[in-house]
Amino acid sequence: MLSRVADSLYWMSRYMERVDGILRMLKINYASSQDDIQEFSWKPVLKIFTYLESNEIDALSPNTRDVLLFMVTGKDNPNSVLNIVTLARENARSVQDHITKEMWQCLNDFYHIMRDDKLNFLLEKDDPISTLDNLIRQGLLYFGTTDVTMARGEGNSFISIGKFLERAIQSTDILDVKFSNLNYELDKTADTTYWKYLLMSISGYELYLRTYRDGLEARNVVEQIVLNEQFPRSVVYSINQLHRYFERLKSNRNKVGFDQIDFMIGKFKSRIKFSTSNSIIQEGLHHFLNETKTGLYEIGTGISHNYFAIS
Amino acid sequence: MQTSELLQSYLVDTNTWDEMYKDASVREQYKKVVDFLQHLSVDELNKKEELAKRLFMSQGITFTVYNSGEGIEKIFPFDIIPRIITSAEWNYIEKGIKQRLKALNLFLKDIYSTQFIIKDGIVPADMVHSCPHYLREMYNFPVPHDIYVHISGIDLIRNNDGSFYILEDNLRTPSGVSYMLENREITKRLFPDLLPNNNVRSVTEYPSLLYRNLVSMSPRQTTKPTIVLLTPGIYNSAYFEHTTLARLMGVELVEGSDLVVDNHRVYMKTTSGLQQVDVIYRRVDDDYLDPLVFNPGSALGVAGLMSAYRKGNVAIVNAPGNGVADDKAIYSYVPAMIRYYLNEEPVLKNVPTYQLGKQEEREHVFANIEQMVIKKTNGSGGYGMLMGCSASKEEIIDYKKEVLQDPRQFIGQPIISLSSAPCYMNGELQPRRVDLRPYALCGPDGIEIVPGGLTRVALTEGSMVVNSSQGGGSKDTWVLSPLAEPPPL
Repeated sequence: MLSRVADSLYWMSRYMERVDGILRMLKINYASSQDDIQEFSWKPVLKIFTYLESNEIDALSPNTRDVLLFMVTGKDNPNSVLNIVTLARENARSVQDHITKEMWQCLNDFYHIMRDDKLNFLLEKDDPISTLDNLIRQGLLYFGTTDVTMARGEGNSFISIGKFLERAIQSTDILDVKFSNLNYELDKTADTTYWKYLLMSISGYELYLRTYRDGLEARNVVEQIVLNEQFPRSVVYSINQLHRYFERLKSNRNKVGFDQIDFMIGKFKSRIKFSTSNSIIQEGLHHFLNETKTGLYEIGTGISHNYFAIS
Repeated sequence: MQTSELLQSYLVDTNTWDEMYKDASVREQYKKVVDFLQHLSVDELNKKEELAKRLFMSQGITFTVYNSGEGIEKIFPFDIIPRIITSAEWNYIEKGIKQRLKALNLFLKDIYSTQFIIKDGIVPADMVHSCPHYLREMYNFPVPHDIYVHISGIDLIRNNDGSFYILEDNLRTPSGVSYMLENREITKRLFPDLLPNNNVRSVTEYPSLLYRNLVSMSPRQTTKPTIVLLTPGIYNSAYFEHTTLARLMGVELVEGSDLVVDNHRVYMKTTSGLQQVDVIYRRVDDDYLDPLVFNPGSALGVAGLMSAYRKGNVAIVNAPGNGVADDKAIYSYVPAMIRYYLNEEPVLKNVPTYQLGKQEEREHVFANIEQMVIKKTNGSGGYGMLMGCSASKEEIIDYKKEVLQDPRQFIGQPIISLSSAPCYMNGELQPRRVDLRPYALCGPDGIEIVPGGLTRVALTEGSMVVNSSQGGGSKDTWVLSPLAEPPPL
C-alpha cells in the first residue's frame, strides 16, 4: 500500500472518531445544561476540543446556542464538526480507490449534510438533541459501513489504528480536563451529577452502575475509564485493539520500523496493565495522565515516521 | 402517435439535422423512448431529474469551484434523455475511427523516426517542427509495440445532411470516459427496464479492456505487473475520473510524489518499502511529466521518469509527444495521411480547415469571418476561440490583432451546424446541439471501441459550444444492437 494512502486512511479514521466524540460530548453537555444551570459550564468542552484562549472561552461559554454553533458548524473553529468532517472527506476523496464506494458515499453525504444551511437554523432554533442525534447517526453509518464492507487488509489496519489511537487520546483528555477542574483532588466534589454526565458523554454510565454498587466515586470513574478492559472507550481497551491491528502489519520488508513501534506499544500497554486505581493515585493522577498522553503521542509519531513518511 | 404536451414546443431548426425528428415524425430508433416518456407525467420526469442530480452529488461526481477561499461542489449538468445511435451509424463511425487512428499512429512513428511523410512532401517540415507539442526527446525512441495512441477520444459532429465530421482528434489524455460509464449507471436507475427493452449495447467492458491493454505494455514479463494511474491530485477537475478508473481496474492511483526513480527504474513508496512500477497510465500532461526534461517547475511529475522510459524500464500511456498529431494545424493533413500510409480513402470527413499561417487562406478567413470559427492550434476546452457569427466588432478586431502576431498558432473553419437532440427542459422536450466522443483503445491486438461514448450537449438554446467549461452538459449515449433494427423488407 502506498504510504500516502495509508496516511490518508489513518487520518480519515482519526477525524471520524473525533467527530463521534465531539458530538456525544455536546449532546450530553447540552442535556446537563438543561438540568442544573448553576453547576453547569461549557468550559471543559471548549478546553478539550478547541484552541481558544481562556478569555475567549469565558466570553463564549455562557451562551449555549453560540457554543453549539461554534462547535458544530463554526467555520473559524478548526476543530468544528464541519471542518473535521471536511478533512475526513478530503482524505477519503484522495483514497477512494482504497475504501469501498459505500464508505465514500457515506462520508460524502455526511459532508453535504454538514454544509446544508438548514443545519445552522436547527442548531439555533430547534431541539439540539434531535439535531445532534441525527449527526451522530451519520457517523454511526460510517462506522457500520466500514465494518461491514471494508476488506480486512492493510487499509483496514490503518483505519483501526487511527480510530483507537484517537479514542485513547480523547478518553485521557476528557479525564484530564474534568479533573483539572478539581485540581486533581479525587475527593473534592461530592456532586454525583458531575460524574454521571461525564460517564454518559462517553457512553459509560450504564456499565458503571453495573460494576460499582456504592455510588459515584471519582476513583471508580478513573478506574473504569483507564483500566476496564470491557469498556470500549477505556484507555486499556483502545490500546489493546490498537496493538491487535498493528500486529497485522508485520512483514519482513519493514522489520526494523515494525519492531521499534511494537516495542513502544508493548511498553505502554504494560504500564497501563500493571496499574491499579491505587497506584495511579499514589503516582499522582495528573502525572499519570500526562505520561499516558505523551506515550500515545509518541506512538502516533512513530507510526507516522515509519509508515507514512513519503519524502 | 398523439402529440403530447411533451413535444409541443419541439421546433427543429430547418437547417439542422435532428437526431429524433425527421420530417415532423419521430425516427424509428427514438420511437420506443418517446412513447415511454409520453406516458410519464411532468411531475414524474421532474422527480427523475432531481434523482439524477442527487445521485451525482452523493457519489461525489463533482468538480470544485474555488470561490473566496471556499470550495463549492458542482455537478456537470446531465440531461436525462438519452442520445440514440443506430447500429448502422455506429458501424460507420467505428470503421472511420479505426482507420483514422491507424493512420495517426503510423504518422507518429514516422515523424519520430524516418520522417518519410515530410521527405515525400505530404506534410511540410515546418508544420511539424513549429508545433510546440513535437518532442525532440521522443525522436528515435522505439515505443513498445509501436503504439503511441493507446487511448483516444475523437470528437465527431453531424452536419445538416446528417453526415459525420471529425471535429478534433484527442490523442493526449482525453477525459470524460467516466461520464460515459456513470451516465449509463444513472440511466439504469432513472428508467428501469428501458435499456433492455431497447437492446442497448453495454459499455461496462471499458475498464477491463483498458486494463488488459495496460498489462500487455509491461516491459517486465511478469504475471502481475504493477500498473499505476498517475493523477495531478485531488484539485484536478478530472480527479473523480481518475479514482473511478483506478477503482474499476483495481490499479494503484498515484501522485507524482508517490513515485521515485532510482537507477532508471520507477518505484512507488509503499508502507513496506519501494515497489517497482511497470506501466504508468498518466493523466498528467507531457510538460509536467519530468522536471528534469520538461517544465523544471513541475511538482506533478517524477524526476528521471523520461530516462527510465527511454531505457525501456517503464511504459508510459499515452506516449509523450502525441500532441503533434492532434494539433489543429496538422489536423487538415490527416486525410492526406490516410491516403499516404493506408492507400485508402478516408471514411470520416474532415471539417475544411484554413491555415492562418498561409497568407491566402488567412485573407479568405478574415473576409468571411461571420461564417468562420477561429481556434488556437494548441487550445482546448473551448478557450481562446472566436465564433465569427456571435462575436462583436471589437472582439473581431482584437482577435485579428492577436492572430497576426503569430498566425501559425491559429486555424479557421467554417461554422458547421451541429446536429440537435431532444433535452428535457422545464417540463418539455427541446432540441439542443450535441457532439459525440467515442473512446478507442489501441493495444497489440488492434483497436477496440466500446459501443457508446460521451455525448456533450450545449444546454443554452442555439449555442454551438458543448465544452463543459462553457456551460455544456452531457447525456447517456446509446448504441443500439443490430437486434433492435427492423428486419430488411
